[in-house]
Amino acid sequence: MHLDPFELHRPTTVEEAHRLYAERPAGADYLAGGTDLLPNYKMHLNLRPTLISLDRIPELARRDGARVGAMVRLGDLERDADFVGRYPGVARALREIATPLVRASATLGGNLLLETRCFFFNQSEFWRASLGYCLKADGDRCHVVPQKERCYATFSGDLAPALAVLDAEVELAGPGGRRTIPLLDLYDRAGDGIRRTHLRPGEILTSVLLPPAARERSATYSKLRVRPSFDFPELGVAVAARIVDGRATELRIALGGIETCPRRFDELTTPLEGAPLDGPRRRELAAAVQAAVRPVHNTFLPPDYRRRMVGVYVRRALTEVVGATAVP
Amino acid sequence: MSSPAPLKLTINGLPVATVAPAERVLLDLLRDDLGLVGTKRGCDLGTCGCCTVLLDGRPTLSCLTLARLVEGRTITTIEGLAPPGGLTPVQRAFVEHGATQCGFCTPGFLLTATALLRENPRPTRDEIVRAISGNLCRCTGYTKIIEAIEAASTGAP
Repeated sequence: MHLDPFELHRPTTVEEAHRLYAERPAGADYLAGGTDLLPNYKMHLNLRPTLISLDRIPELARRDGARVGAMVRLGDLERDADFVGRYPGVARALREIATPLVRASATLGGNLLLETRCFFFNQSEFWRASLGYCLKADGDRCHVVPQKERCYATFSGDLAPALAVLDAEVELAGPGGRRTIPLLDLYDRAGDGIRRTHLRPGEILTSVLLPPAARERSATYSKLRVRPSFDFPELGVAVAARIVDGRATELRIALGGIETCPRRFDELTTPLEGAPLDGPRRRELAAAVQAAVRPVHNTFLPPDYRRRMVGVYVRRALTEVVGATAVP
Repeated sequence: MSSPAPLKLTINGLPVATVAPAERVLLDLLRDDLGLVGTKRGCDLGTCGCCTVLLDGRPTLSCLTLARLVEGRTITTIEGLAPPGGLTPVQRAFVEHGATQCGFCTPGFLLTATALLRENPRPTRDEIVRAISGNLCRCTGYTKIIEAIEAASTGAP
């Protein structure tokens, strides 16, 4: 499986990367670890004539406590005792991503901006041509939900939900300036599913910021997949809460692997702020999250099973995080 | 093919000066350009670990590594693990425990295991299982591979 020819650039500053991007109207992709982009390029999925590697930009590889550069390799982050000690829920998600070999190259930013996945997309060109191309690559109709407007491919990153329950933010640098936004605001839930983020043309995700409150929360992450040693999530569940005097506050629940974007369920958790989260209430909350999701049939496991597992995994995660508290 | 550019790197302790187009992955550079065919092409998508090499001592998937991006770095392939005619303790343990059948995955396992024992000379069984979780073997079922790495770690025969 060979890569088609492309131009390759290795800028040393974010500004140089922007300039290279702007000078290539035929299109360019930024290249981080390559563990997602290069397999997709080998399968001829949405090729661009230029790759701009971000591996030589020192700013993107910095790590200082609560700020982690987007080009930090996942394998380095999981070996960082300080980071793992501060954010054990994120560390759990980290160790569940792919394999140690993939994590040696894969990056934090790459995982947050992972291409969405689908039966009908992650296939060789021959396979896709035989069936007829799909909306997400080379075609004009979706094979999962037959229509021509929206792509239903699944967001399969593990870190986004784990970071979202800690209220993480992302720093973005674009040709027009820099901005910091909540992590989940990066994802375009209302879009057509092909454009998955609110990144502006040429904009680069430079780092992830964890607020001080993140260290005060108990957090967990669990993942449903077919092969526990390798696969992308069929469902990823992150739960975090601040436990003070036996009461849970700042409760957050986030899911990945189930819809086009990672999603947090503040509309269900905010009304419970400070309420005792006993067994019946945890079951009720897990059932409400389950009722709110609509997986489609585009990954290995059937959507109804995945939806029911949402209830099971959320209930277990809630029990792990808040179940031990001495609720009155 | 895009135009090849000069590329210098260190492979198995020797300086190498070659050329590579932008789209050349390290696996193809090793096998097709330099004749180092001990590194195997399995899935070519990062799933199987057959193409594992050590990049500055760390196990890395050569099928997903662009050759130009490892300019100036140090690569160890299976050919460079032991001196000619000799075996490293991990290789010897694989032989003695029958930890290889068809042999296709073996170079990748040996490089992963070598790096594991350098970083963690006395890994637990669970640490071994986690470390090799990105290397697939379709013959042995892993038991003998795990036993071989355990034996190499303790120096037991």
